[in-house]
Amino acid sequence: MGIRLNLFAIIGSIILLLVILELIRRRYLQERYSLVWIITGAVFLLLSIRVDILYRISNFLGFSIPSNALFFFGVLFLILIVLGLSVITSRLSVKNKILAQEVVLLKKRVADLEKSLRSPE
Amino acid sequence: MKTLVIIPVFNEEETLRGVIVGIRSYLSQADVLVVNDGSTDSTGNIAREEEVLVLEHPYNMGIGATMQTGFLYALRSGYDIAIQVDGDGQHHPEFLPSLVRPLLEGHCDLVIGSRYLSDGGFKSTLPRKLGITFFRSLVWIFTGKRVTDPTSGFRAMDRKTLELFSEEYPTDYPEVEALISAYNKGLHFQEIPVTMRNRQGGASSIGILSALYYMVKVTLSISIGSFRRVK
Repeated sequence: MGIRLNLFAIIGSIILLLVILELIRRRYLQERYSLVWIITGAVFLLLSIRVDILYRISNFLGFSIPSNALFFFGVLFLILIVLGLSVITSRLSVKNKILAQEVVLLKKRVADLEKSLRSPE
Repeated sequence: MKTLVIIPVFNEEETLRGVIVGIRSYLSQADVLVVNDGSTDSTGNIAREEEVLVLEHPYNMGIGATMQTGFLYALRSGYDIAIQVDGDGQHHPEFLPSLVRPLLEGHCDLVIGSRYLSDGGFKSTLPRKLGITFFRSLVWIFTGKRVTDPTSGFRAMDRKTLELFSEEYPTDYPEVEALISAYNKGLHFQEIPVTMRNRQGGASSIGILSALYYMVKVTLSISIGSFRRVK
């Protein structure tokens, strides 16, 4: 890999890390969901500084060219992230349903209480 | 016995009033609860005009969640029996007393009004017949019981069933799954013959694609659910 590409990869990884940190700082990203992204950014940075690691992994697993290994792990990683998001969405929709039902029942109780206050028996 | 009739509604302005009037004349001692699942027409107003109990979902949450809201209300308000009657007028209120009777006699925990136990003039289409056969087999496989109308939403239940359903009830296409989870919980169910009207107003909620989704979803959910430990 040429030095220019290498530099480009390093700068890209640093920008990714900075964006993640800024999102956490602004509270757009909760810490518990940010960990996986910080690790991702760190791995990107490590791989762009020490390209030989990627070469060695790719050789070891028998990929014919290192970029194939990169794409393979990239896609695998994205699939896992999306699966994780689906789990989070499912959990949220269950919680959201329970919350809405509780609100509905509470509203009914409040209305009933107000009515009984207005017309004491 | 404190009895609550739960009517889940989504845009049923043409039929709701008739349903309420029917319930009052055949089961006068029962309270009526309309759970409005975010209707965009005058359904909510009709319910309030009729001075029944009304719960309003803030947005459309699906038939399962709507019924469950009703079950939660029934359970917490101390009702002994809850009955589910559709808001579209396809369930005849004159069957309400016979729907409740097996519960009062203590024969079972859940009563299902079946349109296939008698030859009561319900015009069925071929896709519907196929679907019903499919779900009958599914219930038979997972419970060993023969239920003729597993998708019927015309049901009456006791407090034990209410406790289960307010805890867990599928959000969409809940009937078949609910039956099987009741069986797994050791609850007893029974069918009684009823006749149902074909729809009086509105459009049926099930097209070809959603019928397919219905079957796949319920099968998946039941199969995977059978690997869950019973609490």
